[in-house]
Amino acid sequence: MAKVLNEGDVARMRKVLLELLDRSEADGCVVCDSGGYVLAQEGRGTTDPLLLSALGAGVFAASRELARILGEDEFSAVFHQGERKSIFLRAVTPEVLLVIIFSNTANVGLVRLYASPAALAMRAVFEELDAGVHRDDPERAFVLTEGGDLFGAAPPDKDR
Amino acid sequence: MSFVNFSKREVQLKIVYYGPGLCGKTTNLQTIHATINPHAKGSLTSVATSKDRTLFFDFMPLVAQAIDGYTTRFQVYTVPGQVMYNTTRRLVLRGADGVVFVADSQWSKTAENVESFADLEENLRLQGDHIDQIPYVLQYNKRDLPDVAPVHYLEYTLNNRAARRPAFMAVAPDGRGVFETLNMIARMVLNRFVKQHSRREAESPEMVLV
Repeated sequence: MAKVLNEGDVARMRKVLLELLDRSEADGCVVCDSGGYVLAQEGRGTTDPLLLSALGAGVFAASRELARILGEDEFSAVFHQGERKSIFLRAVTPEVLLVIIFSNTANVGLVRLYASPAALAMRAVFEELDAGVHRDDPERAFVLTEGGDLFGAAPPDKDR
Repeated sequence: MSFVNFSKREVQLKIVYYGPGLCGKTTNLQTIHATINPHAKGSLTSVATSKDRTLFFDFMPLVAQAIDGYTTRFQVYTVPGQVMYNTTRRLVLRGADGVVFVADSQWSKTAENVESFADLEENLRLQGDHIDQIPYVLQYNKRDLPDVAPVHYLEYTLNNRAARRPAFMAVAPDGRGVFETLNMIARMVLNRFVKQHSRREAESPEMVLV
């Protein structure tokens, strides 16, 4: 079955992420799951959250395999440092990941410091979600649109 | 496992192109990306070796208005086909809502096709899925090459389960069969999603051979 976020879940996650951005002075952050789905995003520097999630989930999964080689259960965090921008990835649950993007004017120590409580607060959201605690989901009425093929080649010389 | 964000009125679904090395998985995505309406696609990203063999995955987001009132985002991935990258294949396969199995139609690739399909079954099993429960289609690619096996033989070797799945002949670089394959798996994934959320049992897909 699908992972489902309602308005309340999104609002709680948004509060956690905005607080994290405010305190750590990071540019932006994305919450994604191990399958690469974008669960939430806030801030700047996340212009392509879909790609960020796909690659972030891949990187973190690869790091988990590396950890296993070393006899660790996992690396709880992964840090990629660039000249201008850096990325910090932090496990929220075994299935959910927090990706934080920050410019190098921000302090990596602050990002690391505030990533942990943010991950904990986020974990509570997902644990309740998984446990189905007090769910107030909207009516789940999904109706497929009528019509032919969803995808097709663009007509020549148009929109190309 | 699909993802629904009621706040953003958005549904995300994951499709994975699977198959043996050099069967044309990446070419499928490249053809889709090169020809599809620009409004429907994001950028195509490949994590590849210096020799353009897929090392981790290819990734391409597609967007469609497939569910009333919701934006539907398909996250389309390929796995690395080479045998040694099985761990990576498992990682990419996680949470897949649908699979396209791309087979190389050449006689000489028969064993690799069968091995890769068995690998798909096993990797699905390891993540708690079963091949008969997940939407998948087959694509018999490289039909333009001289030494290809007849379709009935490919059907016999790869599509011989109790519920036969849709299968398409393809020449991926020319686009032949590419969108037919994509549209079929997208529809199957959507139908399953809607049925699951309507809490009705999924029906077995009927076989379509194009």
